[in-house]
Amino acid sequence: MTPRTQVLDRAVGQAMSALSAAAKRGLGDPALAELVVIRASQLNHCAFCLDMHLTIARKHGVSETQLDLLAAWEEAGDEVFDARERAALALTEAVTVLTGGTSRTKSGGGFVPDEVYAEAAEHFDDRQLAHLIGLLVAINNWNRVMVSRRIPPGGYTP
Amino acid sequence: MTTDTTTEYAAERPARMRWAKHAPEVYKAMVRLDTAAKQGLDPRLVELVRLRASALNHCAFCLDMHTKDALAAGESVQRIVQLHAWEESKHFYTEKELAAIELTEAVTVLTDGFVPDEVYEKAAEHFEEAELAQLIATIAVINAWNRFGVTTRAVPGHYQAGDFA
Repeated sequence: MTPRTQVLDRAVGQAMSALSAAAKRGLGDPALAELVVIRASQLNHCAFCLDMHLTIARKHGVSETQLDLLAAWEEAGDEVFDARERAALALTEAVTVLTGGTSRTKSGGGFVPDEVYAEAAEHFDDRQLAHLIGLLVAINNWNRVMVSRRIPPGGYTP
Repeated sequence: MTTDTTTEYAAERPARMRWAKHAPEVYKAMVRLDTAAKQGLDPRLVELVRLRASALNHCAFCLDMHTKDALAAGESVQRIVQLHAWEESKHFYTEKELAAIELTEAVTVLTDGFVPDEVYEKAAEHFEEAELAQLIATIAVINAWNRFGVTTRAVPGHYQAGDFA
């Protein structure tokens, strides 16, 4: 597959990298960071991002079971994803699927429900939560820039 | 928010969190990114893109802010209102603006799948490669602000044009 374009302004790329780095640093949990980043990339169908972050996740020791079951984390049980990971993944989905429905439709997103936010706030203090949200924003940003330009998977080297 | 003495509105809900205070480095990077992404693009077009994405993502704060910014930049009320039914009101916009708005929708609604070839190609007809990359970055960045706004429930109504300039 050939990309539609490889062009990305240098200053834009640098600022995007700075955003991701600051968010990841502030969260301070590299394995969890990869889990949420991969889940967002699944929802946004970013092939390049999936390839890249699955590679990084394995490097950080995220288990194959977690990676295999990530797309069905709600059904995978507490023994695969603990309460903190589940709270982060629920937030990831809410923050990623903002479009579609209204407050009355179950599927198709729209808003970040109080119960999802409250559950995340129980497991992460304000500083961690602000950085977790920052990380979710950053990967959503990368997903858009990669999918739009159709950057093919496999281009990432650690 | 504008109030009068006879109408009782629902109570204003407070923000969930002042995220920029808790993640100042993240905020700084966002501001840098915002500035870099819009370089070289027509400011009126940028506001249209921001408004359309903010509506799709239901970001109340962003709608408040960018409506006021668009008006301050000389945009018409009619074009702002019609934007959300642009497919039925194309004669308010240039072909270039329409291509950008259509791309904005495709890039914003990624969870429903991909950016169609015809949408990308139409945009590529109206924007040369570097300009198109800036447009894509600008669409991504307003999506980023939308996510901060919605998740932390930033409160609409208090922004005044130029507050963050």
